[in-house]
Amino acid sequence: MSAVVSPIREPLIEGNKTYHQITEDICSPTEKAPGMAWVMAFLVAISLLAVYIFSLGWTVWNGIGTWDLNRTIGWGWDITNFVWWVGIGHAGTLISAILLLFRQKWRTGVNRAAEAMTIFAVVCAGQFPLIHMGRVWLAFFIFPYPNTRGPLWVNFNSPLLWDVFAISTYLTVSLLFWYTGLVPDFATLRDRSKGFRRKIYNLFSFGWTGAGKHWQRWESLSLILAGLSTPLVLSVHTIVSFDFATSVIPGWHTTIFPPYFVAGAIFSGFAMVQTLMVITRKILKLQQYITLEHIESMNKVILLTGTMVGVAYLTELFISWYSGYIYEQYAFYNRVLGPYWWSYVGMMACNVISPQFFWVKKYRRSVVFTFFMSIFVNIGMWFERFVIIATTLARDYLPSSWSYYAPTWVEIGLFVGTLGLFFTLYLIFTRVAPVIAVAEIKSILKSAGDQYVGPNATHHHDDHGKGKVHAGTH
Amino acid sequence: MNQFTFTAKQKTFLLSMMGVGLLSMVLTFFTDDALHTRFWSNYLHNATFFTGVAFTSLFVLTAFITAWSGWHVLVKRVWEAYALFLIPGLVLLSVLIIGLYGGFHHLYHWADAEVVAADPILKGKASFLNKGWYSIGTFVVVGAWIFFALKLRQLSIAEETMQDANFSVHKKIRVWSAVFLPIAGFSSAAIIWQWLMSIDSHWYSTMYAWYATASWFVSAMALTIITLAYLKSLGYLQIVSDHHLHDIGKFMFAFSIFWTYLWFSQYMLIWYANVGEETVYFQERLDNYPVLFYGNLILNFVAPFFILMRNDNKRKYGTLVFTAIIVLLGHWWDFFLMIKPGVYHTAQEVLAHSAAHADEAAHAAGHHASSFAAGFTLPGLLEIGTFIGFLGLFFFFVFSRLTKASLVSTGDPYYEESVHHRVWPF
Repeated sequence: MSAVVSPIREPLIEGNKTYHQITEDICSPTEKAPGMAWVMAFLVAISLLAVYIFSLGWTVWNGIGTWDLNRTIGWGWDITNFVWWVGIGHAGTLISAILLLFRQKWRTGVNRAAEAMTIFAVVCAGQFPLIHMGRVWLAFFIFPYPNTRGPLWVNFNSPLLWDVFAISTYLTVSLLFWYTGLVPDFATLRDRSKGFRRKIYNLFSFGWTGAGKHWQRWESLSLILAGLSTPLVLSVHTIVSFDFATSVIPGWHTTIFPPYFVAGAIFSGFAMVQTLMVITRKILKLQQYITLEHIESMNKVILLTGTMVGVAYLTELFISWYSGYIYEQYAFYNRVLGPYWWSYVGMMACNVISPQFFWVKKYRRSVVFTFFMSIFVNIGMWFERFVIIATTLARDYLPSSWSYYAPTWVEIGLFVGTLGLFFTLYLIFTRVAPVIAVAEIKSILKSAGDQYVGPNATHHHDDHGKGKVHAGTH
Repeated sequence: MNQFTFTAKQKTFLLSMMGVGLLSMVLTFFTDDALHTRFWSNYLHNATFFTGVAFTSLFVLTAFITAWSGWHVLVKRVWEAYALFLIPGLVLLSVLIIGLYGGFHHLYHWADAEVVAADPILKGKASFLNKGWYSIGTFVVVGAWIFFALKLRQLSIAEETMQDANFSVHKKIRVWSAVFLPIAGFSSAAIIWQWLMSIDSHWYSTMYAWYATASWFVSAMALTIITLAYLKSLGYLQIVSDHHLHDIGKFMFAFSIFWTYLWFSQYMLIWYANVGEETVYFQERLDNYPVLFYGNLILNFVAPFFILMRNDNKRKYGTLVFTAIIVLLGHWWDFFLMIKPGVYHTAQEVLAHSAAHADEAAHAAGHHASSFAAGFTLPGLLEIGTFIGFLGLFFFFVFSRLTKASLVSTGDPYYEESVHHRVWPF
């Protein structure tokens, strides 16, 4: 990477940090007792996790008859939640893989937490198809293997099965990617610790010594995993979209679904990263590493992807009319003006209209505004999946089958409960691993630290000849 | 050498390319059927293809500026020049509009009032698919694109001449670029439906606009590589290194895969759901245009995927230019496949109706559809000649624009980053 940095770029690490300070700042939260905020958050999260376990137990014991699904509406909150969580699980790998390929330096501030978030979101997503099977203990039937159940094979023609492969592959590669990045940082933690803690981190860091050979292999592996993950980011939500789009259901069967789902997934994933980062940077005092520049960049991605899904929504709406196919036209008429009109309005307002505020720089750089906006987007993307699933199913081909669906407390409990699962895992993560990739953020210090670039720069290299003007020199 | 000179030799060469194109078009016109279907479809094909390349060049430029990309600065004059081709593009498209009003061509089924009156599906679309919207859409949309192309060009040159210490011009460039992106997103879809999707006027696919745009995008990258290699061979832009080429190569590689992803998604979903109204599009192409259909995938996916997979192939000029030529022709071929079958079908129907013995002719038309039709089943020499002509026009215009400003934009705040851009070692 070139060390020449344009004077127009803003620094990404503030506070005139040295390498040692970076290690201190990022590692220390894992080495001392948690603060009050963390404890409170953990109590809330674990209570919600209890709600999840209870609702799960209730569902398994009594069967999914305790949900309000019916013969017309076979997918309700369960699959909505599944798609929502999988979507959220896209930002991490996007940040770590695609932004690595694009050599975006701001990724280093948020990639670790985003990758962790990805894994936890995928774990939450995975719950729903399993529970939805009804007999969870037979879940292993979804794997194709020679069995004693007669010629009973999975249906290879079904996108639902492709989903099994896509998501398990995605989880595996994301986990490897995350762990690869963690190895040098675990070694840092190991070197700073004593006793049992040292033994644990020694085990997890695979005997990392920081030798040149280690770094070289680590770089190669990161690049290979980035290359593998890039098509995976696209493939996962593409295949989730196939769950709907391969059908002949008006409102589901539309060819734009694959790229549009991917854009929506990145959109919701970044919103969740914002939700987490805004809180994390505050509680762990990492504002100098996750700067307003980072937040602004992510808000731009949110604006971009929000507008992309906007193009897709309007494309679908227009083409449904253009198709001249009355069922398609009715499906969209129903979506906008039918009994679930409020969810369509919620989707449009949260996903397409509200991100437009991010055209204003002041809002993009406002932490409070960003936080509320990230919640809006999360709600909006949940609505989107609900719109696609419930409103479409509620109006069948046969008017006699028309129905309305509202969740029972069990379904609500399961959804709220996965939030508990997610935040419990995330909070534990902030205690055991550095939430910012120490090694990676150090790699950008000399090209993005505020002592080197930006208005307060004190170090100047004039070895790049004329035209290389640091903002600090004038 | 940063100031491009458009030599007399180059002008002669490009003018003779245009001459070849003109000759091909004249020959096509006079050897054509009664409706001049081959002539007009070739014209539509090349006019939309090159206008689209200009549009995606502007899109790439604005996207990179918005993303604060630094490396592309040394390449940006080329894209600015490409983007300005939108102006001749609009002129070319106006000829189609004149043809539409004058009834000179039958490219679009929906333009025929009699047919629409008897066709409930076309009647349902008539408030979108009509001459008025087609013309207004083209002028407003391409006009807006031209406005942005000119605005960005003007600011880019202003950045060059004034010593812009607090980057006020660049900040303006950022704003204009960002504003262009959503406008491009919405308007390109609408106009692609008009220009291209409406040829198969009963058929529809929500993916279509993004698919066509991806095709243009790859073509723009391929043309960029060709132009850069040519300029470098003349001694210009020595400052553009293998590293820049490598990055554009990566874009060509990545977007070839992205194009394939969109191709696959569209094809697979239509195949899987097997709804007659949708499968008809691919059925027609598979049955009657198999060479085009499979060739499309070989040229635009298999070739770039395997050739550009290796990193060092993206750094070798010969290999990269070779692949760029394949991919450029491949996407031109892709547009051929998007346009020709629908146009041919429409023309056969119109000819059948106008024939004295409607029944016999309709029978003959049905027969024709499954046999070889020169200029439709495969691109013939006349199509290649027409392409050469348009390519000559494109480069003539682009080179004339390149002379208007320095080839490198030293006033850009990312100029030094671009000069020192290194892809490897990592």
